[in-house]
Amino acid sequence: MELFTPLTRPLAAWRDRLLGRGDAACTVPILDGVLQPNQRLETAAVAWAAPTGSLELRDLVSDGRQLWLADGPRLRALTPQADGRLASEERLVAAGPITALCALPERLGGGVAYAVAGREVQILGGSHHGRRWTGLAERDFTAVNGLAAGGDALIVTDASAQHAPDDWQRDLMSLGASGRVVRLGLAPVDDGKDRSDRVLADGLRHPFGAVAHGSALWVSESWRHRVVALGAGDRPSPVLDQLPGYPSRLAPAGGGGFWLTVFAGRTQLVEFVLREREFRQRMTASMPPELWIAPQLRPPRSFLEPLQGGAIKQMGVLKPWAPPRSYGLVIRLDAAGRPLASLHSRVDGQHHGIVAAAECAGALYVLSRGAGRVLRLDLNTLAPETGA
Amino acid sequence: MTAPATTSAATPIGEVLIRLEAATVRYGGAPAVDGVNFDLRAGEVHALLGENGAGKSTLTKSMAGVVRLNEGRILLDGQPVAPASPREALALGVAMVFQETSLVPTMTVAQNLFLGQESAYNRPRGVNIAAQQFLQSLNFDVDPGTVVAMLGAAKRQMVEIARAVLHRARVLIFDEPTATLTPEEKQHFFALVAQLKARGVAVIFISHALEEALAIADRITVLRDAKHVLTAPAAELDRAAIVKAMVGRDLSQTFHGQRKTRVRAPGRRVLSVQNLRMAGVVKNTSFSVFAGQVTGVFGLVGAGRTETFKVVAGLLKRDFMHGGQVLLGDRPVRYRVPAQAVEDGIAYITEDRKLEGFFETMSIARNIHLGLLAKLRARRPVVHRSEQRRLGEHWVQQLGIRAVSANAKVIELSGGNQQKVVIAKSLVQSPELIIFDEPTRGVDVGAIAEIHQLINRLADEGRAVVVISSYLPEVLALADRVLVARQGKVVEEFSALHASEEKIMYAAIH
Repeated sequence: MELFTPLTRPLAAWRDRLLGRGDAACTVPILDGVLQPNQRLETAAVAWAAPTGSLELRDLVSDGRQLWLADGPRLRALTPQADGRLASEERLVAAGPITALCALPERLGGGVAYAVAGREVQILGGSHHGRRWTGLAERDFTAVNGLAAGGDALIVTDASAQHAPDDWQRDLMSLGASGRVVRLGLAPVDDGKDRSDRVLADGLRHPFGAVAHGSALWVSESWRHRVVALGAGDRPSPVLDQLPGYPSRLAPAGGGGFWLTVFAGRTQLVEFVLREREFRQRMTASMPPELWIAPQLRPPRSFLEPLQGGAIKQMGVLKPWAPPRSYGLVIRLDAAGRPLASLHSRVDGQHHGIVAAAECAGALYVLSRGAGRVLRLDLNTLAPETGA
Repeated sequence: MTAPATTSAATPIGEVLIRLEAATVRYGGAPAVDGVNFDLRAGEVHALLGENGAGKSTLTKSMAGVVRLNEGRILLDGQPVAPASPREALALGVAMVFQETSLVPTMTVAQNLFLGQESAYNRPRGVNIAAQQFLQSLNFDVDPGTVVAMLGAAKRQMVEIARAVLHRARVLIFDEPTATLTPEEKQHFFALVAQLKARGVAVIFISHALEEALAIADRITVLRDAKHVLTAPAAELDRAAIVKAMVGRDLSQTFHGQRKTRVRAPGRRVLSVQNLRMAGVVKNTSFSVFAGQVTGVFGLVGAGRTETFKVVAGLLKRDFMHGGQVLLGDRPVRYRVPAQAVEDGIAYITEDRKLEGFFETMSIARNIHLGLLAKLRARRPVVHRSEQRRLGEHWVQQLGIRAVSANAKVIELSGGNQQKVVIAKSLVQSPELIIFDEPTRGVDVGAIAEIHQLINRLADEGRAVVVISSYLPEVLALADRVLVARQGKVVEEFSALHASEEKIMYAAIH
């Protein structure tokens, strides 16, 4: 049947569109079971806040001792303090916004890898200090939004071939499927390991983060609302599908498993807009992105816009009239990719647009890009629910 | 045809209206009622209680002309009578409202009400007006022009009650009348019983809801194992005494179990319903069901719970599904017929076992084997009777079905044992997702405990179990997580540890 898939796929898509099934069903998974909403993120302590409170915080990683934060073009080292707050120290000012970070382990030479404006990957410190990459296989990097240490290589997620990292809404609205995962070899010359640079997967719909899992690599694919596993030479296979939001980065969790961050929730309205090509084209051509019917990283701040999640009751029936566009969600996964627990900031909250999470010194630190804050949750208080 | 009067022939209150002396009924040699003495006085409400198989229904069926006594006699107003059919019993003033409604589903409410009273020429408008006036006089909100098949169980029950009242019965037998009614409808029903009582009508009230029996009955009779155990004024009894008399042991603590102190962790997501819509009944509902858990679904009658799960199981045709997706695992499914769902490991155990659950004139073994035949891989060119019998005997033993043998006809079984046959018919398919719709409706306390144990065992085995129930203690005793449905959608979810009757009811109503 695989042989005929390229032939039958357009027919199936046409049938689905005609009958309102499959991708054309305009349905979204519900937040229930272990994904049942709570206020854990909304009530989490603020460990560090961007002075401007803007959307400039793009990534957060841990090297075990301290955290590294991408704050616009600045690379900051954040050190946990006794009072739970983070002390910030500026380590670098790059030529453009830093869009992704990775603290490299000692086996890969140490140091911090970072991406500048999504177009260039560089390494600060360690044995690879000063190395830089601007592309691979005759294609320049365009939207590097995730870096991870995988085996003996640095793994790069290049979300799109057309749109810069901050232009992710346009990538979604154009049904972008040009993302790729790239491997940059970092093994020492003399140990006989694979030092090659190569493309591991192409044609992905906005890969946003990666994490090594045994010999495989797990990658979050935002526009397909799933996490896929990349093995040697295999096609991507879903690990976790039907997510109720758009997944962003993955980070290892103590005690096994991972933290998966979700930067916005899915709604039927956005799913509907994604079906309507002409509407999308007119909307993206004629309106500023902050007014698009599209996911957002933070709740609307204009008084002209209705409160998200607001509703009216007509004839005894509650009708939503302002579907939410932003949400805050972190999902704890076990080693098999099964959700164990979740942390939420609901539609009436502020801690939305969660793009990264990292464990450090007995706490989970969560980056809310929408609120411009690093949040702190004590792992001991999460333990019963998350298995952490 | 005119609207009939609802008054019955006046009999002085307190006088014995109907008496059974040494009544005995045997099915295939086994006594269903064994030498029972029973009397009913005019103007009293007499609750008849007992486990399934205790003989309650058979005893009352003998009064209503559905079965004949093998021994003993019935005295009506002191005169021996032996009604050979329900029609004869009705002529004598004895009417029975059955546990599973016996209305004609393709006829309208008005036609059902006047069934058997037709004239040579019936003006539909006149029939409808008469039915409307009569229903209003009983304060029943049912449209007489509606086809019965389109009514929910509660409204069907109302029509059934109305029909009995219409026939000027002096003795009214209600078999599990409140099982399908909402709390509001129950209050209506109790008010109606009070009205009937005031008119001198004698009411026999068969129920498994002991609190209801204690609340509305004047006297209570308990049967056990086909024999009479106890008759006493309700005021002198309490729940524990009744339960002890019913089962011969102290079960009051285990009835509906204790409140949960721990819940099962969810396994993989087996079922995901996304934004499902079905005209007017199911309104954009979404929920998930996980393996290794019991998911309780509570809602008042009309909340769209049954319809939602019937779509999932392919019992309602996909034409009725107006939008949304159903995913089994991560695979979208849309069944045209139940057989496809059965193939995929979904079992739906109906709330209306008489109509949808079994073939009542077939044996237990054949019914169970039919369940197996729904699976494609189990089909054979020739059905082996020995295989069928072995299968039947296996499940009779597994579920503790009380019957003479696996060859006994299902019609001869009590409600609880019939329910076990329906469950066996589905479990034989080795389903992964089992949907129980009102699993203990019309089932006695002993069988309830057994069915609850079975449900828990299935969840412990790692299967996904859904229990749709209108009875809150049952939901709280069984479910690891509780979904509350209201007006066609799931509106709230609780962990069993955090759920309470008040919280659930608040979500179901507001």
